[in-house]
Amino acid sequence: MFGPLLYGVAASSVMSGTSLLYATLGEIVGERGGIVNLGLEGIMLVGAASGFAMTALTGNPYLGLAAAAVAGTALNLIFAYLVVSRRANQLATGLTLMFFGLGLSALVGRPFVGALITGLPKLHLFGGGGARGGLLNYDVLVYLAVPVSVLIWWLLFRTRWGLELRAVGESPAAALAAGVRPPRLQYQALALAGLLGGIAGAHLSLALTLTWAEGMTAGRGFIAIALVIFAKWNPLWAIAGALLFGGAESLQLQLQAAGADVSPFIMNMVPYLLTLIVLIVWGWSRQTAAPAALGRTFFGVE
Amino acid sequence: MARIPVMTAALAAVAALWIAAPASAQNKPPLTVGAIYVGSVNDYGYNRSMKDGLEEMKRNIPGLKLIEAENVPETAESERIMEGMIQQGARLIFATSFGHQQFAFNLAKTHPDVYFEHAGGWMQAPNFGNFFGATQAAWYPMGVAAGKMTKSNTLGFVVGVPIGYAIGNVNAFEMGALSVNPKVQTRVVVTGGWSDKAKEATAAGALIDQGADVVTMHVDSPATIIQTAEGRGVYSIGFQSIEARQLAPKYWLTGLGFTWGPFMTETAKSVIAGTFKPAMVRDGLGAMMTIAPFGSAVPDDVRAMVTAAGDKVAKGFNPFTGPVVDNTGATKIAAGDSWGGDKMGNFDWYVAGVIGKAK
Repeated sequence: MFGPLLYGVAASSVMSGTSLLYATLGEIVGERGGIVNLGLEGIMLVGAASGFAMTALTGNPYLGLAAAAVAGTALNLIFAYLVVSRRANQLATGLTLMFFGLGLSALVGRPFVGALITGLPKLHLFGGGGARGGLLNYDVLVYLAVPVSVLIWWLLFRTRWGLELRAVGESPAAALAAGVRPPRLQYQALALAGLLGGIAGAHLSLALTLTWAEGMTAGRGFIAIALVIFAKWNPLWAIAGALLFGGAESLQLQLQAAGADVSPFIMNMVPYLLTLIVLIVWGWSRQTAAPAALGRTFFGVE
Repeated sequence: MARIPVMTAALAAVAALWIAAPASAQNKPPLTVGAIYVGSVNDYGYNRSMKDGLEEMKRNIPGLKLIEAENVPETAESERIMEGMIQQGARLIFATSFGHQQFAFNLAKTHPDVYFEHAGGWMQAPNFGNFFGATQAAWYPMGVAAGKMTKSNTLGFVVGVPIGYAIGNVNAFEMGALSVNPKVQTRVVVTGGWSDKAKEATAAGALIDQGADVVTMHVDSPATIIQTAEGRGVYSIGFQSIEARQLAPKYWLTGLGFTWGPFMTETAKSVIAGTFKPAMVRDGLGAMMTIAPFGSAVPDDVRAMVTAAGDKVAKGFNPFTGPVVDNTGATKIAAGDSWGGDKMGNFDWYVAGVIGKAK
């Protein structure tokens, strides 16, 4: 019984964790620039709806993926304009973005509800296939998840751009004095964050469920925001966080299927309890790892 | 100077409207009906079945006007939307989801001249009635189909919210399967909500990983679970709407669907005639429910067995006739006793053969 259980948990954690990982990476990039985006849920939904709509229209899931990336970027740029150029409060604007994304995605997706699409194809590596799925039998986004995390880490910690972005996130005034322009960097970071968030949503609708329904992210955007804290704003730790949460959700469903003698209500709480525990236990010590100017609006220097 | 032609045109338009008005008054609808759906009608599931029923009602009563709202959440928002429909002239409201009950009931108190029909609940008032399919016994023939078609003797059932009615469905399913295959077991996974696509996909995958080769469900839309099963090469049995068979061209076995149309037509006619009587209507196979067409994978002898079981249920067979033992070994229905329609909400235990925890 444990063999299929462990295999099943591993396989489905990777599937559910992938969209969380992309969303967390996007949020990390934004928060490293000092901007907290509570509207990640809205970005993911818009990505999911646009990706699904484009795939239903063209029959090509990769085009759908591109559409999701573009849609996420566009929506996050609207957020960037409000928060960077108009200096609106980040938390309020983020929540507004979430509602906007919820409604916009419903509007975009409405004509396509119930459409049948061919999703992102599963690429077999190392002899996959068959009803059990084979060892490595996932879509391209899953295979790219870890490489992209490493890429984002490299971008943030090994490039000049990343250094400047982190400087902006720690102290925009100091960065400005050093010749960096905070607004430009924040726009760029938020564009990248939107792109990753849109892709995260697309994975849900084009790979995991092959469907679109209003609000289908079911709070995953907020889990990703919590995972950023768990990951200490480091993309490599985000991999562990996404696997942990994705794993928790798969584990509780797999345990139910295996016949665990625990109330299904408690089982369904497990992923959220885990997130709460993680935040309580590690939240305080993590606070010191946050970018110093996170969430603060920069009004420029005199 | 250009005013004169414009004025003439305006007067002509007004006159035309004035003449047309009595004519259109003759086309005043006999009844305006409002309906709220908890999800999208394109779900191949519950909401689709409600939509199909309402469309049938509309066809049966010429001129009837139907106002619909999709994706109405099970919150106070639904009350606002139903109120809006009443303002537009609706005199009969169908609140089609379980969680809409209290809000529809509130409106029934403030609008005694408007009639309400709620799907799946129990509340009653002079202008508030309740209806649903008697789903539990109807799952018995589905179990027969699954029990005959399974090779691994493991069936999978995804449940959205483990209310008594849903648990009763699982029980009847397992009992039907046991009646043709004494070794069969049903594994149950609860997702916690009527509609969470990502969880449903993962839950179906988990059941298949644990060996289920027939998967079925009680959630709002069977689509995601059926598609997951089809992708993994596993049989599926549908629920809510028989249209779901389009999603599984190879591995569809059969399914249950609701046929709300006749009941909705009767209710609308009773409102028009002024003879509305509130009632708690629970009708099963043959009346509000039907068995879906069989998939190509199902051999003739199995089809005959399932159809025979369905006829048995339609004639009144009640699988919940004692003695019935639950999956911990306790006798839940004593010999000589039986649980009728009024007890279908009381299930908080699974029958022997079901692997899962009910509460």
